[in-house]
Amino acid sequence: MQLPIPLVKSQAVTRRHFFGQAGLGFGAMALQSLLGRDGVAAVQGDRIPAKAKSIIYLHMAGSPSQLELFEDKPALTKFHGQECPKEYLEGKRFAFIKGTPKMLGPQFKYQKHGETGQTLSELLPGLASISDDVCVIRSLHTEQFNHSPAQLLLQTGNARLGYPSIGSWVNYGLGSENENLPGFVVLASGGKTPSAGKSLWGSGFLPTVYQGIQCRTDGGDPILYLSNPAGMSREARRKTLDAIRDLNSFEHQHIGDPETLTRIAQYELSYRMQMSVPEVMDISREPKHILELYGAQPGYVSESENAADPRVLYKGNDPTFANNCLLARRLVENGVRFVQLYDWGWDHHGSSPGESVDETLPIKCQQIDRAIAGLVKDLKQRGLLDETLIVWGGEFGRTPMMQNNVHKELKKGFIGRDHHPHAFTMWMAGGGIKPGSYGGTDDIGYYIDENPMSIRDLQATILHQIGIDPHRFSFAYEGLNQRLIGPTDEGRVVQEIIS
Amino acid sequence: MKFHSLCLCIVVFVFATHSRTVPAREIDFNRDVRPIISDNCFACHGFDKGTRKGELRLDQREAATEDRGGYAVIVPGKPEESALIKRVTSTDPDLVMPPADSHKKPLDRKSVEVLTEWIRQGAPWGQHWSFVRPQRSTVPVDGVHPIDFFVQQRLVESKLELANQAANHTLIRRLSFDLTGLPPDADLVKSFPQSPTSQDWNRLVDQLLASPHFGERMAMWWLDGARYSDTDGFQADATRANWPWRDWVVDSFNQNKPFDEFTIEQFAGDLLPDATPEQILATCFHRNHMNNGEGGRDKEESRVDYVLDRANTTGTVFLGLTLGCTQCHDHKFDPISQNDYYSLTAYFNSIDETGAAGGGAKPYLKYKSPYAQRAVEEASALVKVTDAELASVQKQAEAEFVPWLDEQIRRTRDGFQPWTTIVPTRLATTEGYQLRREPDGIIASAPADFSQDDFVITVAATELDRISGLRLEVFPHASHTDGKYSFSDTGEFILTNVKLLVRKKSSAQIREVSLASAVADVEGVGSDSSYKSVRDTLDDDPRKGWTTRMKPSDVTHTAVFALEEPLVLASGEELDIVLMQRSLAPRELMGRFRLSATDQRGTAVRSLSPMPLEQLAGLQAAAGESPLDASKIDSELRKKLLGQFLEDHAAWQAAKQRNDLAKSQLGFAKKAADDQNVTVLGERKEPRQTYVLERGVWNKHGEEVQRAVLPAVLKMPAAEVSSRLELGRWIVSSDNPLTARVISNQVWQLFFGAGLVWTPADFGLQGESPTHPKLLDWLAVELMESGWDLKHLVRTIVTSQTYRQDSAVSAELLELDPENRLLARGARFRLPSWMIRDAALKSSGLLNEATGGPPVFPYQPPGVWRDQFMGRFVYQPDIGPAQYRRTLYAFWRRTSAPTFLFDSAMRRTCEVVPRRTNTPLHALTLLNDTTSLEAARTLADAAITIAPDDLSRRIEFLFWRVLSRNPAPNETDRVLLGQYNAAKAYYDKHSEDAAAFTTVGQLAAPDQALVSDVAATMLLANLLLNLDEGMTHE
Repeated sequence: MQLPIPLVKSQAVTRRHFFGQAGLGFGAMALQSLLGRDGVAAVQGDRIPAKAKSIIYLHMAGSPSQLELFEDKPALTKFHGQECPKEYLEGKRFAFIKGTPKMLGPQFKYQKHGETGQTLSELLPGLASISDDVCVIRSLHTEQFNHSPAQLLLQTGNARLGYPSIGSWVNYGLGSENENLPGFVVLASGGKTPSAGKSLWGSGFLPTVYQGIQCRTDGGDPILYLSNPAGMSREARRKTLDAIRDLNSFEHQHIGDPETLTRIAQYELSYRMQMSVPEVMDISREPKHILELYGAQPGYVSESENAADPRVLYKGNDPTFANNCLLARRLVENGVRFVQLYDWGWDHHGSSPGESVDETLPIKCQQIDRAIAGLVKDLKQRGLLDETLIVWGGEFGRTPMMQNNVHKELKKGFIGRDHHPHAFTMWMAGGGIKPGSYGGTDDIGYYIDENPMSIRDLQATILHQIGIDPHRFSFAYEGLNQRLIGPTDEGRVVQEIIS
Repeated sequence: MKFHSLCLCIVVFVFATHSRTVPAREIDFNRDVRPIISDNCFACHGFDKGTRKGELRLDQREAATEDRGGYAVIVPGKPEESALIKRVTSTDPDLVMPPADSHKKPLDRKSVEVLTEWIRQGAPWGQHWSFVRPQRSTVPVDGVHPIDFFVQQRLVESKLELANQAANHTLIRRLSFDLTGLPPDADLVKSFPQSPTSQDWNRLVDQLLASPHFGERMAMWWLDGARYSDTDGFQADATRANWPWRDWVVDSFNQNKPFDEFTIEQFAGDLLPDATPEQILATCFHRNHMNNGEGGRDKEESRVDYVLDRANTTGTVFLGLTLGCTQCHDHKFDPISQNDYYSLTAYFNSIDETGAAGGGAKPYLKYKSPYAQRAVEEASALVKVTDAELASVQKQAEAEFVPWLDEQIRRTRDGFQPWTTIVPTRLATTEGYQLRREPDGIIASAPADFSQDDFVITVAATELDRISGLRLEVFPHASHTDGKYSFSDTGEFILTNVKLLVRKKSSAQIREVSLASAVADVEGVGSDSSYKSVRDTLDDDPRKGWTTRMKPSDVTHTAVFALEEPLVLASGEELDIVLMQRSLAPRELMGRFRLSATDQRGTAVRSLSPMPLEQLAGLQAAAGESPLDASKIDSELRKKLLGQFLEDHAAWQAAKQRNDLAKSQLGFAKKAADDQNVTVLGERKEPRQTYVLERGVWNKHGEEVQRAVLPAVLKMPAAEVSSRLELGRWIVSSDNPLTARVISNQVWQLFFGAGLVWTPADFGLQGESPTHPKLLDWLAVELMESGWDLKHLVRTIVTSQTYRQDSAVSAELLELDPENRLLARGARFRLPSWMIRDAALKSSGLLNEATGGPPVFPYQPPGVWRDQFMGRFVYQPDIGPAQYRRTLYAFWRRTSAPTFLFDSAMRRTCEVVPRRTNTPLHALTLLNDTTSLEAARTLADAAITIAPDDLSRRIEFLFWRVLSRNPAPNETDRVLLGQYNAAKAYYDKHSEDAAAFTTVGQLAAPDQALVSDVAATMLLANLLLNLDEGMTHE
């Protein structure tokens, strides 16, 4: 964008002051947020060579069972139906399990796939078809075993509210590639947003401009207030903005505050965003073979928008997640730094209808599997996979025992597992991640017995791949140099999975 | 790191403007040295013994200068012998400090020079400024305003002086926004003396301070710090009724309750002797935190969270200390240990609470708000108005009813067919039951071994012009089990859900058609009690549904479903009627059923009784008369027929909907006028024991601690501070070095956009030093010695010449002081988003200036709460005057804050730093939000009334309303006239656009003859409401 000369100058003057003190949000910050392309990390000297330019994070809210999808445990199958040994229960807290539960063997069959010989369950044929592009990490562990705090820890680095999400950190650190689009976009499917709600994509103590913008896909404005009011044409709006610009210029001549120039730029950007957002959100522009690759359906409005209970969806073939995957590709292609997808409905306790490991999980897998394979293949064929980091997973794992607080015995449609913080599986692809496997668990999948990877390690590795030094990159707040990976240095970049 | 570079900026700046070489200036430990060592050294060599390395602490002079076996880290007067200088300048990676693994950058040359010079000057130490009691510096008695005296002292150092006073209209606006949060009336500005005296200004200030809006404005500050919200937050986000406390805050500011009392009541109003209900109400401050009701969560964990939140809020709001750090370990920078922190939490640990959320969040105060009655009266008046509107529409409609009835009499002369059997184009199921059509329109299924299934009956077109209702008949049959309704073991059926989906042929687009009601001839008793009511087929929950079990099983059962809006199938569209039978009872699926449709609305499809037109047909058949005389219809049937007619009368429906909304608002207000359960503080009988929580984990008990105040702030013998009440008194003790400074700073920030301390939440070692330390201390002492008189503090600030300066800035001054830290010009910053909304309401004349009462619901885009709650909470904007209340009263749902506040505090945890950012999303909100547009329309109407034929006068009027001044000739001639003419020409040609643009909020389109004029004027007003000048504290 061509800047008026005084603006460039004032920007130069105020920048160094801004970077010292971002909390107050004066004109300098506005200039940074509106016009900055280099981001704060570069100015602070916290940039490192980047493997990825953007991130697509696929969060399965509720947490899918690693034991049905990634963890083939013959020993657990052997103990299936027997009472859980005491040593796994003593001193442990569970969200719902009471007394002595029964062990629960994996409910689906496993097979090895591809050159890497990746073990995957029959529920994920799509993932199997891209298994050589994926690094499966079977040794994640967390400190939290309830959804909200675990989701917050995973995505903001703190189980309490008020901390910036990883997308905000990246957006803040790297700035925007395309100033006509938000740098951090959130898309939700599954009929509901995750339990921790909007705090998951909030900017915490970082300036609000870096928060995630939730784009609605239900047919209304993708971004609130984006459309002109009825009876106001785009041409009329253009004329209004011209007048606002002229009057604000008079104001600037009179007062001399660079903030007024920021205001002019802000209004101009809003006009361009009105054009660029609906364009990028319109997946009907995609050719048919691409739609089929993902299983996307343009214009589909999920029933769940009106549903009191989204579990009614589990019989239908809801393409919302597929649509969102395709949108994610369009967004990163257009320079969005961080695209966060949430898919709700992975909390398979087996205590009420429509939330079981044996009947619901296969339906949820069907809703995402083809889309994910499509996304990876599509990015690859466009040469974008190398520069796009894909992360997939829930907020914790699920117990090797059956949840027993409602149904004590195994019953079809009511087989479920409780929350399990001690071991779970995630996978990453693209963005300089080495395909293969990392980490492992004991015979029954209860504890990690090889290469544990903490949430901090995961966060450090993600930041590292996007070109931010996770240990140095910080923001001064409440007297501390706050970091995504927390105040201690226990988080490390897991070099073993980096190519 | 960032803080570090900032300090250097200041240091560099000071040196650069002052002199060329470092030694020319005396090093000030607090200002120059402490930030460097705090930033770079204290993490390992500070107060926190847990992380201290090499048994070295640099936060105390004694330790830093002690002999460490032949050498010392600091040798006063001898930098060359001090290990500190050697280590920070070392090029040996094993020796250099800070070490590489600390991820800190090496010290730059300037910092090293500062440290060297400081040691050369003898390494004088100093206690951190904010922990030393503020002292009032002497000011000359010659009439210079003390604030100006201190500000000028610093300006002189930089060879600067105060700017000229701002123009009268600018200053009046500034005062009005700062003290009431609203723009001034045009008349006030116009009638203000051209050359005002001090008395004129003082009179204006007093007038604004006496306005009830002063309290509202100040409350907006306090509510952010108090993390006030109308809901719990988290997943459940239940609604709470703490709004009487919000009114208590407004009242307190308006009554100018001394700030020490204000504080003590919020900490411990319940413990005051003979506490009044209002004093107890005050303690809601410490209950405004979020409540977590997530399933599977330990209540005790939540309770501990609340206790810590209270301590942290106390730290941030009153003491300017970041206590959050000390949850897990000793403070790294400030002299506060983990023990100190948990001793402070002990004051909040014995509240009679359980950690439960929602309705279980005791202790409560039952409180009747004195402000609710006004809301009831306002809502009653609105009901009356809408009653009258409805009656008038009804009268008109009844006149139209007469010819309609004659038409219906003719139409039903030969009978009336209420239901038309549906002829499906396709029958399908999800699981695999086979459906087939029988000749009489009955659909029959074959037995099969699937437990559950969905029957999908597809219709392409019907004989009817529209579908407004569906009838489902379920038939018994000999082939079914026991001759009942299904092939299941029981012969019963359970219908769990009914859904209507419209699909366009050869398109993936599906839209759902909503059902409004369902009724049935009988409702049975399910083997599982959740199966019973036909209503439950509408709720999407497969766990509930309709059964006729235990009712006669040899008769046809009937259910009727009413559509919310009649459905007209466009060509190429198909309707899927989905009958979901997903109960837990296996194979209880209808064996034989029939679907019919009708075009009748209202009672016709909300009951099973004969439809009004059906009755009319019956009457005609019975009378055999032809044609029937309308006067022979009995009043009951006539009423039903009228009802049927009104169902399709758009104006009546609109009036009815408004009337219903008004009644529902009245119901809400009446409930608010009853006793409210406000969450407050109250001690339990047995105090809880308090422990240090290891790593801040709620159930990892460490050492037990007793109640104690923070010794680093102000030591007090334990016996004197044993209760929460005494804690409150300690906070506002005149010996407490922090509170008065912290509060004065926050108040200053309201009027200058930034505090004298730029880190209002951190007065600790990592916070910034004040830009004008003596001024801050003078204000703090003045606040305390005035008896904590907040209005006095405010008056003092806004009557200074510093405050009154023009905010225009020259290029040179901008270069020299871009952030206006020296205060050589007036403060210029964007108004908070709530103030921009309130200003639009006020300048348009829409504002409802009522104070207090239950929350209101301003416009938000449709569906704002849907994503989050799936219909559990539905946002319904208020109608009538309640729509135009100040933003302070807007309902605040924590998980979905009001969308029109594009940047504001989050109200999740306490915040004292204003959020002020500029994104395109702000511009979109101000351009397109309904409030903004309705204000523009209202302004346009008023402008046209004032000056029907004089465009220049109209523009002048709009300028005065929105910007409190006359337009400049170039603004009118070069921009606005052209705008108007272009818009007018466009809207003359496109009157539908003009009508659409001007139909906004609660306003209908103007007369056809006026519409393009109104639209073009409204466009001007919309434009003015979006000017930088209008949304800025000039």
